[in-house]
Order: sequence, then C-alpha cells, then structure tokens
Amino acid sequence: MSGLIQASNLYLQRGNKQLLSGLSFSIQAGKITVILGPNGAGKSSLLLALAGLIPADGELLLNGANMAGYQRAALAKQVAWQGELPPTEFGLTVKQRLLLARGDNDRDMSPAVSAMEIETLLKRPLAELSSGERQRVELAALMLREVPVWLLDEPTAHLDLKHQAHCLKMMKKQAAAGRAIVTVLHDLQQAVVVADFIIFIDGKGYAESGPADQMLTIDRLSTLFDTPLIGQGKLLVPDYGDGI
Amino acid sequence: MRLMPVFKWAIILAVLVCTVLFCLGVGEEWINPFNANGQNAVILWELRWPRLLIAFSVGGLLALAGAWFQVLLGNPLAEPYVLGVAGSASVGAVAGLMIYPESAVAMSIGAFIGAWLGISVVMAFSHLGSGRMLLAGVVLASFWSALLALLLALLPKSELGLAFSWMMGDLSHSDLPISLLLLSWIVALGCGLQLSRSLDALLLGERHAEALGIEVKLQRNRLLLLASAVTAVAVTAAGTIGFVGLVVPHLMRLMFGSLHKAVLPASAIGGGILLMLADSAARTIVAPSELPVGVLTAIIGVPLFLFLLLRRS
Repeated sequence: MSGLIQASNLYLQRGNKQLLSGLSFSIQAGKITVILGPNGAGKSSLLLALAGLIPADGELLLNGANMAGYQRAALAKQVAWQGELPPTEFGLTVKQRLLLARGDNDRDMSPAVSAMEIETLLKRPLAELSSGERQRVELAALMLREVPVWLLDEPTAHLDLKHQAHCLKMMKKQAAAGRAIVTVLHDLQQAVVVADFIIFIDGKGYAESGPADQMLTIDRLSTLFDTPLIGQGKLLVPDYGDGI
Repeated sequence: MRLMPVFKWAIILAVLVCTVLFCLGVGEEWINPFNANGQNAVILWELRWPRLLIAFSVGGLLALAGAWFQVLLGNPLAEPYVLGVAGSASVGAVAGLMIYPESAVAMSIGAFIGAWLGISVVMAFSHLGSGRMLLAGVVLASFWSALLALLLALLPKSELGLAFSWMMGDLSHSDLPISLLLLSWIVALGCGLQLSRSLDALLLGERHAEALGIEVKLQRNRLLLLASAVTAVAVTAAGTIGFVGLVVPHLMRLMFGSLHKAVLPASAIGGGILLMLADSAARTIVAPSELPVGVLTAIIGVPLFLFLLLRRS
C-alpha cells in the first residue's frame, strides 16, 4: 500500500524510553488517520517525526522520497504541523500570526477566519486571548497552509463543544477535498466520528495500525488504555460503573 | 497605538529631524543651527555634528542588536548587556590599558576582542535553549565583573580615569571612523531586513519556525554572528551603554507591531534618537564637564522600561 507518507520499520526513542519499535503504516490522501494511546505513549513525538521536526530511525518516505533528504523549506510546502500554542511574549496580534502562517502565498484569509469565528479577534494580541481562542487562531493558521498533509496534535484541546464540532467538520471537509490528515485525539468519541485509519501506541514499544472499523473495538481500546470501556453503536465511554 | 503606518513613520522621521536640530543647538551655549557663523559654525559642524553621527549610529546598532538578541533568546528582556557582553568588553578594554598604558586605541582593540570573547562564550550555551542561555549570560556577567574588579585593582591609578569613563559609556573618545560606524548601521539594517522573515517566524518559537520552513539552526547562527559583530562595533566605539537595546525595540514593537520589516528600521532610527538625546544631555547638564552617557541611558531607560512592562501587563 503506498501513500503520501510511508513509514517502514519506524523506531522512536525519548531519552532511554523506546516509544516505537518497528511500526509501519501509510498515510493516505483524502483520509483521516487518528493516533490513539495513553499519556506519555509518544503520540506527539510520532507527529513531530512525521513533520520532520525530530529524528526517527527507520524509513520515512514523503511522496516516495526519503523525508530526511528534504530541505526544510521544501518539507514545509508538503507538511503543516499544528502543535503547542506559540509563545505570546512579543505581542503578536492574531492577524500577524495568520500572516506568518500564510507566508508568500496570497490566499484569502477570510474563509479560515470565518470558519474558526475569529473575525472579532484579528487586531487583538495573542496574549490577551483565552487558550480556546488561541487554539482557534492556530487552526485558522493551519487552514492557510496550502499543503497536502496536515499533522494536528490534539486540535480540539481547549475548545468548547461548538468549536470542537467546527474543528471536526473542518477536518472531514479538508479530507474530502483530498488532504491527508493525521491527528492525535484523546476523545474516543471524536476518533470514532472522524477516523478512517487508526494508529495505536502504548508507549512500551507496542504499536499497530489499521482501518478504523477494525481497530476501534471495545476490547482493543480497553486493553490499550488499560481501563474497562462500554459502548453502544458508535458511542464508546469508560465504564464508570453506572452504565451508559 | 492605532495610527496608519505612514503616519507612524512620519512621526518617527519628524522626531528624528527635531532631535538632530535640537541636539546640534544645545550645549554649553545654545547655537542656532540655521544661523551659525565663525566659531559657532566650527563648534556646530566640527564638534557637535560628528558626535551626533556617532551617537546616532551607535544607538541604532545597539537597538538592532537588542532586537535580535531578544528574538534569539525568545525573551524581550534580553540585550547585549544582560548577556555579559558589557562585562567581557570592559575586561578587554582594561586589559588593553594594562598592556599599553594611556592608549585609547589599545583600549578599543581590547574592548572589541573582549566583546567577541564574551559573545562566543555565551554562544557555546546556545544549544541549551533560550532560557538557559540567558541564565548563562547573567552568571557570566558576574564572572566578568569579578575579573574586571581584579584588573582595576591592578591597574595603575593614572589609567583609572580613562578606564572608568569608557566603562560608563563615552562618545567623546571614539576611535572608530564615523564613516565606518554609519556604514555598519546601513549594513546591519540591510542584513537584518534580509533575515526579517526568519526573525518573524522565530517569534512563534523554534518548532513553529521550523514547521514554517525556516532552517532554524542556520538562521540562529547567522543572527548570533550579526548581533555579536554589531555589539562589538558599538561597544568598541562608545564603551558600555546599557538599556538602549532593551527599551527601544520594546517601544517600537508597541508602536509598529511585532513584524521585523517595521521593527528593525524603526529601532535603528529610534535607538539613534535616544542616544543622541542622552549624549546631548550628558554634555550639557554639567557643562563644561560631561556626564557618562551610559549613566543617563540607564536613568532614562530603567523607569521607561518598567513603565512599558506595567503598561503591557
């Protein structure tokens, strides 16, 4: 199976901890791949490796070419990464943040701005915004990148329910338009709604990947998260002991 | 400040022109710059004008270096002096005086070597990240000041006056040609503008900058080299003058926003304006004697910076 990104026999280490041992998977255009796993398992590290921002052992191919051979600027034209919120010390405004993301392309900013409902925030410094508002700005910044692969690290973090829904809809729309999306999610329900493919990582070296309908089963997820789950249809929740 | 950019530039340029005229005129005796004859013309064009050009270029260089160090360290409180460069340059200057007594040239060469040495040592910590690099700079500043105290104790008493006036900032003994200083100002600003996209991206942090396609390590090294060279030239020309590099970029960010296509030229001009004013005050307040300009920049700079800090918070 070939894809925009092809990972073969991937090894990832953080300090002395082996996060991944020989994982292989493929990232497809037009599909959403969700990375699931407990805290500290290495989900964000895997995303950073896919963005070429940290080194990984094994083979990582982007459009058939070794990712390590890409110049930084060439890589940025293929892959966009949304991760931690950027610092606010220097007084950047929302508009300036978006201009930095847009770079040299003259793409109209208004669709991204209205999709994330940040029209009224444009002139405000990032430092004055709440975490949720800043997250929406980051998602709008991502939408301004004209690249085939999006890597998102917990895109719905900090967002209220309405904007979580906006974010998930936007991801599905972008995937339908042909973009390859890889995202780390903590909410299983969100994963069930958007995922085409799943990558499981347990942080102890075990990892596997596959189509969402095969991977998102109560047994597998209960084992992965080391906690009992109960579910009905597409609803999956931890078993709090009270039933659903 | 919600003004159109063109008005902001008009204000900066108007302040620059007014500052130049005011600083030309002010001194032990007021001289009208538009009507100076005889001895007054000599004072105006052969004494005050060259010194004004030195103040303008040194102030601009210090402000540019400050703006670059702040982005490099991800900390708006960084400037060459916080990183211990003033201390290492002073050690170099005093060492120069010990080797060649009474030689201002030896002192300048020593200062240049000292500034380079100080920045090279700080650069050795750059791989540890901005916070630790800043901390290393602060600790190194203590080391340099201890070394300086040791050298001053060993320096002959006859040399102390020259050493102290340089250490507190002094534009009256600059040994570098004015043309070289002005050229440095132009080249530094030009190089800075070339790197402005990288500087802007670095405002988002190194990881975001890399994700936007910036070769962060390469650009960081270029910026460090540029900021070091500029600091060394400024320190060699004028001694240790603090707070210009801290206050001016901060002020210009408040006025022009954070993007460097505007912040760098505005800082280069704003730094020049601040140092011209400070130097004119330094040579006027207790005329015919002079105050060290570094003392005045600190007296103006510290409260101004604290005010800006409070305003921002």
